[in-house]
Amino acid sequence: MNKQGPNPKNRFLMLLGGLFLLAFLVSLPFILDNRFYLRLATEILIYGLLAMSLDVLLGYTGLLSFMHAVYMGIGAYTVGLFLKYLDPTSSVWVLLLFGMVITAAIALPIGWVQVRTGGFSFALLTIAFGMMLYTVVWKARDITGGDDGLIGIPTPNISLGGWVIGKTSDPITVYFFTLAIVLLCFLITWRIIRSPLGAVLESIRENEERASFIGIHVHRYKLFGWMLACSLAGVCGVLFTLLKGSVSPTMMDANAGGAVLMMTLLGGLGTLWGPFLGAGVFIFAQDYISTMTEHWMIFLGLILILLVLFIPKGIAGFRNYFTTNQHP
Amino acid sequence: MTILITQNLCRDFGGVRAIHKVNLNFAENEMRAIIGPNGAGKTTFFNVITGRMPPSSGKVIYQGRDITGKSPHEIVRLGITRTFQKSSIFPGLSVFENVRIAVQTQSGGSRRIFSSRLSLSDVTLETESILDRLGLKDQAYTLANNLSHGDQRVLEIGIALAGKPKLLLLDEPTAGMSPRETERTTRLIRQLCSDLAIILVEHDMDVVMAISDKISVMHYGCIIAEGSPEEIQRNEQVREAYLGRED
Repeated sequence: MNKQGPNPKNRFLMLLGGLFLLAFLVSLPFILDNRFYLRLATEILIYGLLAMSLDVLLGYTGLLSFMHAVYMGIGAYTVGLFLKYLDPTSSVWVLLLFGMVITAAIALPIGWVQVRTGGFSFALLTIAFGMMLYTVVWKARDITGGDDGLIGIPTPNISLGGWVIGKTSDPITVYFFTLAIVLLCFLITWRIIRSPLGAVLESIRENEERASFIGIHVHRYKLFGWMLACSLAGVCGVLFTLLKGSVSPTMMDANAGGAVLMMTLLGGLGTLWGPFLGAGVFIFAQDYISTMTEHWMIFLGLILILLVLFIPKGIAGFRNYFTTNQHP
Repeated sequence: MTILITQNLCRDFGGVRAIHKVNLNFAENEMRAIIGPNGAGKTTFFNVITGRMPPSSGKVIYQGRDITGKSPHEIVRLGITRTFQKSSIFPGLSVFENVRIAVQTQSGGSRRIFSSRLSLSDVTLETESILDRLGLKDQAYTLANNLSHGDQRVLEIGIALAGKPKLLLLDEPTAGMSPRETERTTRLIRQLCSDLAIILVEHDMDVVMAISDKISVMHYGCIIAEGSPEEIQRNEQVREAYLGRED
């Protein structure tokens, strides 16, 4: 019998690559003296995590959400409102927990309904519920600021065990804080995906009916996938508010939902790390092309069409050219 | 000891009676075949027993308890597993993982979030032993999708077996198989029936006659005859309804 999983050589290469990447990410603030690009890099990390969380849902559980950005928006608004109206000097750890819990609490009943369907109906329901949440946020002017967004959100200190690391108004501090949280979320999700429970999610993706006929309570595990994805999106929202100091409803609209989906597809489904690359390419392209033309979406659409037609496995699919003993 | 009883089991599809007042008893460790022309209601009968669809009326009693209307995963956990007429496997997973996930679910290891999959060593061992029985050990790390049609059907039997069933429902297991594959599958099924009850829906009469203890004949949703293979072969009504036409 062949051995399963990556062979030791590949595993070593993966570890080495990961360490290099980490060293690069840690030294980035010292390489980039441009504050704008450091903020862009932070944004890429946040959207990378968001795209990764969508990968948990789409690439591992097989459920398509068109409006995943909505759940990031809920996390963002939750902490934005909390900082503005309740406690401007709140601990960032409390904010993270709070943003995640509120997002999860809103996602739970919606997920409970959605997981009773699958495929096409599930995807349509994500649009329906997403549109409702978006409209509530957009129209509740008195609380959320409506079209104008929530502005002038206080910038709390980031402290760990009584030691103040820095202020969230400082891009370098926010960058490192974001990097740490994103890395932590990535590692936890990586572990879950490779666990027995992750195997259950994959079996549901592959064949939902067969999964229920081997004794899997499919609704329950689909709900788990949904809740994991939405909780992570809530964390992204918290990080986003801390980075930007303002929240706008456009981050929750259908375009935003489509953008996250594109990042995930661009990077490659079912890899967890691919979506980070997807987010990087997407946000960088958005920034670069939009300096030349307003209609940057046309070019992005073009890139995506080429990707879907010629490299359907996304950027992450290229790794097969570099690793040995990979069967297509 | 009876393992499964159906009482007046009916299922309609918008006025069409797929099965009508089916009363059957199945004994423990029995090898029973259900035969009948296409559209006789055999698959519907399976679907109603396994919770894929509820019956319009009637009851399913398994080991003395009423399981009518329970959901598929609950019924599987009670010890009834099945295969489908059209192979239902996990196409994008390896052959090993196809069986392993079923063993894992049966063993209750699925709630472990942070450990590695292969850390469930008894699950891995059980999976290997099932693959051995199926004769698929050499292809353990092939994607299930890349298996031949015959091997996919055998794999599905393996997935069903991994649930440690007391009652196994096989829906045309040899459909589309070559004569050699059919022979191999027949041998596999015959080995299985020493320690579990099997209900077999099958069109290949050679297979049916060779391995069944007892045969029930279904026609237009009703059971029209029941008996040993010899009795069924002699039965005039069955010949007219079914066997006669094929000759």
